[in-house]
Amino acid sequence: MAVLVEEAIAALSTFSLEDDQPEVQGLAASLATERCATTSPIEYGDVSAYRLSLVEDTKAVNQLNALIHEGKEMSSVLYTYRSIPKELGELPDSMKHSQAELYLETYQVLDLEMSRLREIQRWQSSAASKLAVDMQRFSRPERCINGPTVTHLWSMLKLLDVLVQLDHLKNAKASIPNDFSWYKRTFTQVSVQWQDTDSMREELDDLQIFLSTRWAILLNLHVEMFRVNNVEDILQVLIIFCVESLELDFTLLFPERHILLRVLPVLVVLATSSEKDGDSLYRRVKMNRLINIFKNDPVIPAFPDLHLSPAAMLKELSVYFQKFSSQTRLLTLPAPHELPPLTSFQYSERHYLIVNHIGAIRAEHDDFVLRFASSMNQIILLKSTDSTDVDWSKEVKGNMYDMIVEGFQLLSRWTGRIWEQCAWKFSRPCKDSIPADSLESSTSNSDYEKVVRWNYTADERKALVELTSYIKSVGSMMQRCDTLVADALWETIHAEVQDFVQNKLAIMLKTTFRKKKDLSRILSDMRTLSADWMANTSKSETDIHSSQHGGEESKSNFFYPRLVAPTAAQVHCLQFLIYELVSGGNLRKPGGLFGNSGLEHSVNDLKLLESFFYKLSFFLHILDYSVTVGALTDLGFLWFREFYLESSRLIRFPIECSLPWMLADHVMESQNAGLFESILLPFDIYNDSAQHALVVLKQRFLYDEIEAEVDLCFDQLVLKLTDTIFTYYKSWAASDLLDPSFLFALDNGEKYSIQPMRFNALFKMTRVKLLGRTIDFRRLITERMNKMFRENLEFLFDRFESQDLCAVVELEKLLDILRHSHELLTQDLSLDSFDLIVSEMQENISLISFSSRLASQIWTELQNDFLPNFVFCNTTQRFVRSTKVSLVPVQKPSVPYGKPSFYCGSQDLNLAHQTFSRLYIGFFGIPHVFSIVKLLGSRSLPWLIRALLDHISNKLAILEPMITGLQEALPKSIGLLPFDGGVAGCQRIVKELLNWGSKTELKSEVLHGIKEIGTVLCWMALLDVVLRQVDTTNLMQTAPWLGLMPGPDGQISQSQEDGDSPLISLFKSAAATIESCPRRSNPSSFNTITKQAEAADLLYKANITTGSVLEYTLAFTSAALDKFCSKWNAAPKTGFIDITTSKDFYRVYSGLQFGYLEEYVEASSNNHDVLGDAVAWGGCTIIYLLGQQLHFELFDFSYQLLNVAEVETATVYYVLKHANYIQGSESLLEAMRKERRLNNHVFSLLRARCPLEDKTACAIKQSGAPLQRIRFENTVSAFETLPQKGA
Amino acid sequence: MMARAGGIGITNAVNVGIAVQADWENREFISHISLNVRRLFEFLLHFEATTKSKLASLNEKLDTLERHLELLEVQVSTASANPSLFN
Repeated sequence: MAVLVEEAIAALSTFSLEDDQPEVQGLAASLATERCATTSPIEYGDVSAYRLSLVEDTKAVNQLNALIHEGKEMSSVLYTYRSIPKELGELPDSMKHSQAELYLETYQVLDLEMSRLREIQRWQSSAASKLAVDMQRFSRPERCINGPTVTHLWSMLKLLDVLVQLDHLKNAKASIPNDFSWYKRTFTQVSVQWQDTDSMREELDDLQIFLSTRWAILLNLHVEMFRVNNVEDILQVLIIFCVESLELDFTLLFPERHILLRVLPVLVVLATSSEKDGDSLYRRVKMNRLINIFKNDPVIPAFPDLHLSPAAMLKELSVYFQKFSSQTRLLTLPAPHELPPLTSFQYSERHYLIVNHIGAIRAEHDDFVLRFASSMNQIILLKSTDSTDVDWSKEVKGNMYDMIVEGFQLLSRWTGRIWEQCAWKFSRPCKDSIPADSLESSTSNSDYEKVVRWNYTADERKALVELTSYIKSVGSMMQRCDTLVADALWETIHAEVQDFVQNKLAIMLKTTFRKKKDLSRILSDMRTLSADWMANTSKSETDIHSSQHGGEESKSNFFYPRLVAPTAAQVHCLQFLIYELVSGGNLRKPGGLFGNSGLEHSVNDLKLLESFFYKLSFFLHILDYSVTVGALTDLGFLWFREFYLESSRLIRFPIECSLPWMLADHVMESQNAGLFESILLPFDIYNDSAQHALVVLKQRFLYDEIEAEVDLCFDQLVLKLTDTIFTYYKSWAASDLLDPSFLFALDNGEKYSIQPMRFNALFKMTRVKLLGRTIDFRRLITERMNKMFRENLEFLFDRFESQDLCAVVELEKLLDILRHSHELLTQDLSLDSFDLIVSEMQENISLISFSSRLASQIWTELQNDFLPNFVFCNTTQRFVRSTKVSLVPVQKPSVPYGKPSFYCGSQDLNLAHQTFSRLYIGFFGIPHVFSIVKLLGSRSLPWLIRALLDHISNKLAILEPMITGLQEALPKSIGLLPFDGGVAGCQRIVKELLNWGSKTELKSEVLHGIKEIGTVLCWMALLDVVLRQVDTTNLMQTAPWLGLMPGPDGQISQSQEDGDSPLISLFKSAAATIESCPRRSNPSSFNTITKQAEAADLLYKANITTGSVLEYTLAFTSAALDKFCSKWNAAPKTGFIDITTSKDFYRVYSGLQFGYLEEYVEASSNNHDVLGDAVAWGGCTIIYLLGQQLHFELFDFSYQLLNVAEVETATVYYVLKHANYIQGSESLLEAMRKERRLNNHVFSLLRARCPLEDKTACAIKQSGAPLQRIRFENTVSAFETLPQKGA
Repeated sequence: MMARAGGIGITNAVNVGIAVQADWENREFISHISLNVRRLFEFLLHFEATTKSKLASLNEKLDTLERHLELLEVQVSTASANPSLFN
């Protein structure tokens, strides 16, 4: 049978249960039985089997334990008691007539609550009398029953503790007497109609006395105890037991230690108040020992938010106990609130504040975890090797046992520290509370805020989080190895016990106790009830005799291990026997337990007995492994605040006052990389509190409150945490994208680098345990992140829409940062792809939409702001905003507010990146076009180009009637300018010719129209430059894969004439290799890859020869102009060049140009700032495309004037005569020269990009006679592929 | 001292010794069984944890696929709303 089970369990380990979730949370689940082994699960029913005549004692122990159990329930009822009348409110006037009914209702409600208090009153009196009787029975010097056993002593102490706690709680809860007086009032009102209320009234009075008397329970206990005056002995024994245990300390876990500390002052008061011999106590226990204990722990935790101070308690009790009031030394102990500042500082410094110990705790933790892990490894190794080396196995297991003991002690000390720190904080509320920033928010700080919210400094919170994480991680580490180490622990404990009873006792029997029959009987009883002789197969008892006189080594008995631990009853009996042995069964024996009683036993033996005695009490904790771990790591008390809720008359506190949330919040606020993995630990505290509320306090409403708070906090956590993570990744990306060499050279470069943080562990949390629910934390973070990226994009687009086109570079940079942070984040989280998010936010998911939010914004911006208001500078190839009043006012939404994380993360990085993007804010040039090309991509860019081209043709159509108007305003005939008038004369003549009549107002409109066309052309020229660059880069990247080589004539040539490109051949050969391989896996997938390579090859090859956008634009403009050819380019009737009567476009433009140059010089209105060089681009392009370039160059007014000026400057005489005048016109001439240079530049560029030479060459016959202009077909190749509008 | 009524000491030491010995052996069997039951329980816990992890990662993949599918559906619907494109 056993083998089968073993095998079956072993088979389970063959399952592969890999789980990648890191352990950053506390215990997930634990199997706990209702009754734990520390108190016997069968109520010591098996004690009688050992025939130690302990029947009476066992009965008493069980009775006391039952009382303890009831008492705890009572105190949880009392602790969670909430004032009722507070909720009832006042009766409105309209309902005065039904007052009687109201009283009745109130009475019934209150009666229920008061019945509970009445029950407490009854219980305490019965408990007190039972305890007193028990003490009296077991303290008779001429005792007729065995006992009290050590377990019994503990039960007495625990019951006493329950009573003290209950009393303390009753004193502290101010609402109870209030509620009671309310109840009594309603009772008087209600009971008017009743008969026979005397007994009820009496009962009420009793209850009132009970409730309103401080320390009523203790006083009652005192009366009960001293009914018979013989409890002094047992009280003294209890005090000695307490004092010795506390002084020894290491065998106590913190709950027991606190019990002893709470009980001790009461015991002292009771013992001293005895009528008979109050001072005999101090003969057995020196006063200094007591004072030391009280001084070392001036504050003791009693309830989660209620503390107890021995000094204050002694003082208060001295009023009630006359005899005790003479103990001035004990009474002069300072209570915590009376401690002078200096000593209080020393107290807290030394003892209470975790922050003072955290360094040592950290070292302890690190050291312990290492050693624990190594002994775990040893155990695993031992199990896997099947070693028969008994010594080694024993050593490994013993080592494990030591580690577990040490672990329990550490956990107990740490958790105890947290309890004590809390108590200390509660005893010393923050006096100069309320940091300045929250002054307005909470005018009246509740007491709870004073003791919790403002009472923990940042360092203290950090230390608390750290300690919590140590407790929880060590706890879960120990819990996880529960079943792994259980047998090792049993075996070690078994060995310890057997070693003691079989070997050590045997020696003692032979030596020290040989002569003392009574005592050696006890020793042999100990052997009888616990020795496991059959496990000792090598030697029987008789063998011991023979080996007795051998060497030191052979003295120790060898026995085979058995995987069974002693029962609680065995431990109980052994402890009893040892206690009997050392005390001789005499309660009045002077001195301590193992103290100075060397009269009969040798010191060594006493030492052995003592250490075994204390070991025994610790065995039970170890055997009760998971319950002990659970109890020691339970931090649920940090949440409870029933006492303060009641005293501040509130229903609940905001979560900012809640310690667990304060800790979680601190982790996030501190931005401390080391703490982030502890972010979920505060939620373990909630788990613990919920467990406590349901299992211990048994109050549903508390659980509901916790649940509501956890819901709120967890939402907050996800929100804040994702924000932090997002900010961190944004900052990381932003600092990555800064130029490293630049940063290196910078003095303060380190402020742009970020502190690395690790969120990987949190990203792997797929199941966070929260109040029994399992939450996929990773999923929540992912969801939220997806949302954040979308929000951020939305913000960036909003921001761009509120700025002008120049901000496009900034937009691109910010998008780059966002994209990079997305890239970094997707290494750990599976987010939506960035392109998907972008296209979603750009609203162009649809397959057939080619515009996007960004493209249409750019287009709108171009149309409404850029084209009318920006001027082009040919030299810098930049557009700048015209300094003149904006011709077309632009209305924009205000710049939206964004969190720093929506830009670049941290403030410093924001500043750095802003400095960069500010460089591009004042103009529009090549960098901006680069950004536009990159942002729009190949999908939306054609759409934008098309829109711009349509804009050109629309503008031309608008210009057409205006130009006709201007043509009409030209004089009938315009001849060449005569040279004899000089510059001035010519200028006058031109002015007369160009008065435009009634069409003057058309002039500027036409000029602006031409300027816009010119602007579009310039824009396209920039775009062309950029696209060339981009295409070349692409070509360089793809060429090696496509097998393209530079040919001899500078053309691109294919490297292998007939064969495939390297890309295809690579995959083909790979597929072939796979196929030829004997163990081929799946060649079909490689064939698919080859096919795809061919497709890619085709696609990339098609992209190599792309046309020029500028040429295409020119061709398009030319085609658009064809419509107006007849009007703007009238064929001369004579066949010769028409000089005087021509009203062709060039003539109109020439007039306009002269006009604006003149204005520019005369009015110094700086017209240039309004129009810029783009107007020359527009005009010259139209002239060129109409084939009028030569005409223009011949007959332009400005050019003619310049010719005149050249002739004039040749004659020095003229210069002298008209010096003044020339000076004035010199600036005009200069402007004209500049304009001519610009025009020439544009013409030469156009000739290069859109050659029309063929046209003019064939326009002249061989005979030399001019031919009528041949209608030139614009057949630029790209034009045919142009998608027709509206198709 | 030991002569008091009640007295200390096992009244029938031999019998008790035999019973204790038998008790040790019985309890060996009990602790063997209980330890293995606890191991079974622990296995189940571990198994649950693993399963939950795996389900979570599966869920994540499904989520991704679902969103992707949604996107594709939208794209297809926009395209098929304009059948002229395919002619």
